[in-house]
Amino acid sequence: MKQYNFFLTYALLVLIQMVICNYFHLSAYVLLSILPVMVLCIPIRFSTTAALCIAFVTGLLVDLLSEGLLGINTLAIVPVAFVRKIVIQLVFGEELFARNEDFSIKKSGLGKVSIALVIVQALFLVVYILADGAGTRPFSFNLARFVASLAAGYAVSILLVDTLAPDSSRK
Amino acid sequence: MPKERKIVPIIVSAAIFILMEVAAIHLIRRNDSLQDVWFARGAHKFMAAVWGGSENIKHYFSLGKENKALALENFNLRTELAQVKGEGSDAYIDSISRSIPFIKYVKNFSYIPAEVVKISRNKQHNYLIINKGSEDGVVENSGIITGRGVVGIIDAVGKHHSYALSLMNTDISVSARLGAEGAAGSLTWTGSGSSHCVVRDIPLHFNYEEGDTVYTSGFSAIFPPDIPLGTAGKSRVVNGSSNEVKVELFQDFTAIRYVTVVNNLSRDEINGLAR
Repeated sequence: MKQYNFFLTYALLVLIQMVICNYFHLSAYVLLSILPVMVLCIPIRFSTTAALCIAFVTGLLVDLLSEGLLGINTLAIVPVAFVRKIVIQLVFGEELFARNEDFSIKKSGLGKVSIALVIVQALFLVVYILADGAGTRPFSFNLARFVASLAAGYAVSILLVDTLAPDSSRK
Repeated sequence: MPKERKIVPIIVSAAIFILMEVAAIHLIRRNDSLQDVWFARGAHKFMAAVWGGSENIKHYFSLGKENKALALENFNLRTELAQVKGEGSDAYIDSISRSIPFIKYVKNFSYIPAEVVKISRNKQHNYLIINKGSEDGVVENSGIITGRGVVGIIDAVGKHHSYALSLMNTDISVSARLGAEGAAGSLTWTGSGSSHCVVRDIPLHFNYEEGDTVYTSGFSAIFPPDIPLGTAGKSRVVNGSSNEVKVELFQDFTAIRYVTVVNNLSRDEINGLAR
């Protein structure tokens, strides 16, 4: 049931991401993406290979159904899925894997969740901004875009963590 | 979980990750020419780095061969230089037997290229062994030089190898001159450090400048004259009768491999007259 809920929420968030890509053009400097938090919150029992497949399909869907460069979301989100377990292990420790438990703000604390979110969001943005600019934009622009997008992405992602990875003790 | 069972999923994940990234790049390249050019440029840079790296590795492993070729070239140039600088009749050289092909005869000296096979550095009586012996034309009391100065003197000769006393040996001395036209004295090792020697018996009235080049004098019947040995440093008066001048050597004794054996063809005649 819990797994069913996750995929339902996940599918809904993919739709939201498509809407963001198609209709929310805040500024040339702000790239709003919730894909990194979605991939980070894939339940811990899923292997890296499974996470890679989910991320690839998600990125491809967003690319196909939204404006922009085809393949760029896929290119940026797959590395996030690849390092997902390493980031969780580094930030939250081995216990989560030992207990086969997912992280949440209540269990792990806002600080640790924020660090993990910033890492995956930063990785996604670096790949996305570099591929999007294709070496034609100045470093200052890319840096400003990175910082603004990281702040916006973090703000939205932190609100979604509890939706994607709710604390089971609440039930 | 055993180590191998942990590694396999990592390799599989990495392979899938690479495949997915390649697919994504392919998609991007097909849909935008700007990104296509950027990725192509990146791929070219990567390939250039890979090929450059492999070339460097290949080059590194062929350094030994190149060093040998350079040493031989050095040897040829040194003998040519000696020929240009030397005096006397070429007819004399031509009259000398040339039965051993790699020996070069220049004026009164023969030059034989050799490689050091063993060298000692941490003793008071250091030595070296070279890979040329009597069958190659090496004789006792020949000198050993490099492009950076004197290395030693042959002490014993075998069929294919020769044993030499290193300049870093307190038992040997080489006749040296301070500056191009200066006073001559005997250059000997002090027994400490491999970078300097001293020139003894320099008359007190003789003035020199620190930094002057020290050359072989050519008086010893072992080494040809004018081989640069090092630079003159500070001096001190010994027994109130002569100066002892410190010499910073050009030759680095920690990195000797290719040398030239030099034999004075008139040595017996000179020594006979001296007796």
